[in-house]
Amino acid sequence: MPQALDIRQNKYSDVTQEEKDRLFQECKDDERWSHILYGCYECGICVAACPSARFYDFSPRLIAQAVAREDTDLIYTLMNDSVWDCSQCFSCDRCPRGNSPGQVITVMREVAVKNGLNTAKEALEGYGRIIYKIMSTGSQVSPDMLQPNAFPDWGHHVHDIAENLDVWRKALPPETLHTIETGWKVDEKTIIELYLIWHMTGVMDLILGIDEGLHMILVDVMEERLEEAGYDIEFD
Amino acid sequence: MANENVLIIGGGAAGIEAAKGISGLGFKAILVEKRDRLGGTPDEEKYAALTPDLRDTQEALGDLMAPIKDNPLVDIHYNTLVTGASGELGNFTIKALQLGKEIEFQVGAVIIATGFKHFDPGRETQKYSYYELDDVITLTDAEKMLSEHKFVRPSNGEEPKRLCFIQCVGSRDRRLGNEYCSKVCCGISSKQSIEIKKLLPDCKIYIFYIDMRMYGYWENEIYWPAQEKYKVNYIKGMATEIVKKGDKVLVKGEDTTLRRPMEVEMDMVILAVGMEPSEGTQQMAEIFGLNKNKYGFIETTGGCLDTVSTNVPGVYAVGATTGPADLEDSVSTGGLAAMKALSAIRSLAVTA
Repeated sequence: MPQALDIRQNKYSDVTQEEKDRLFQECKDDERWSHILYGCYECGICVAACPSARFYDFSPRLIAQAVAREDTDLIYTLMNDSVWDCSQCFSCDRCPRGNSPGQVITVMREVAVKNGLNTAKEALEGYGRIIYKIMSTGSQVSPDMLQPNAFPDWGHHVHDIAENLDVWRKALPPETLHTIETGWKVDEKTIIELYLIWHMTGVMDLILGIDEGLHMILVDVMEERLEEAGYDIEFD
Repeated sequence: MANENVLIIGGGAAGIEAAKGISGLGFKAILVEKRDRLGGTPDEEKYAALTPDLRDTQEALGDLMAPIKDNPLVDIHYNTLVTGASGELGNFTIKALQLGKEIEFQVGAVIIATGFKHFDPGRETQKYSYYELDDVITLTDAEKMLSEHKFVRPSNGEEPKRLCFIQCVGSRDRRLGNEYCSKVCCGISSKQSIEIKKLLPDCKIYIFYIDMRMYGYWENEIYWPAQEKYKVNYIKGMATEIVKKGDKVLVKGEDTTLRRPMEVEMDMVILAVGMEPSEGTQQMAEIFGLNKNKYGFIETTGGCLDTVSTNVPGVYAVGATTGPADLEDSVSTGGLAAMKALSAIRSLAVTA
């Protein structure tokens, strides 16, 4: 059972008001802010459309209302305990006021990560392997990451396919899919550009803020490959 | 010499009241109507009873128009569309088409009473399946049934046991561009709830709303009776989607004050569609060179203290031509424009 969201007790009373205000100000300073939250009718159409709200104690309306009211105590609680329950599907975009609670959450998550909040670290802990895969290879979950036993509901034939996975992949028409180590074959030029973008836009600093170990492994991989490509880049 | 006749375009409540005012003061009113009868939208769309007093629509409209029928000071032209205008206050020439024949009027002032049209729920941003599901209807569809004193599910002809209204369909929506409140839909939904409960006392009725807006006497005349006497349930929360489930429709929303998502089965859903400017209103704005607001309604010039004057002297806009209006607004502005039109013409005569 997911833990019920506690919005009444001040779970984070040890965090100073100044710090909570500062984090909210950082959200408001985001250039997207002025056109993702106008005002809130408190009509709940976002909750009605939200798949996460059906299964978790999660409410995009609560987030929109807390933010509209500038209730920094509640915003801090939500920034720690609620924003990670959103699947970022943006079904809530059907708001009659033109609000996007989903994008408000995007900004709150970014602020949580940039400031290295413990809850952000915990929330992203389980994704280290996926972040590593995406950032080191430039593609997403790869066929060789799938364990035949992991998804029994997929049926018995998954075992058969797993045995000769490389052969099955070669049977696929697009050449870019003839690989099992990555989701698809990534061009050398593309991966170098991705590394440069992640370096220059501060994404690597974000990673350092939430997972030092992951950052170290990524830097090893990236520095070596960038050097081979003729770039003299220093991370940190 | 200023022409003292006044042309009124549109024979709904506002236009009828304007014609009554002009003729009552002893001047000539020329009333043109595109249909072959008076009464406007309440008559054309077969409203059952008026809001808020629940008076029978045909009886009430009959009383309203009685003084202008067979009145020598009121010329009524049916099946007539205004197609062009020239001139100025005291001396307008109006071209019109009457059953394919071109005719012309000479008048001193013009009152535009061409009204509104209901929002088409096929254009909504929510997914209410109006065109897909028979049991999803609009307020106007419901009026038609209520005027025949029967209320049944269009899909199978059976009496509904559970139904809901969804408010603000086509109104108060930034994504749609209709940011305004259509003003009457809360009251009409509550009025229809009472009418349905009178016909079907066992039917459970829910109204899903953002804010209930029944100000003034509408509060005690319809809101309280609907809730207290007829046990209509008001739930603050908007539905996002309606889908078919067996022979029922499933409404997905949030009960916001109890803070819980809800998926409820209904026999019928009634969409409280709002108002938009009618084709006629948009055409008249073009023909007379009137300023329009961003929603396409005619813009009046005097703010809250002059609700009928336009940017063209001698041309007045009444009723729902200037924005969502109830019948009280329509007859009030119709009468006001009659007075303003005649005083503008008369002051011309004095200064000449």
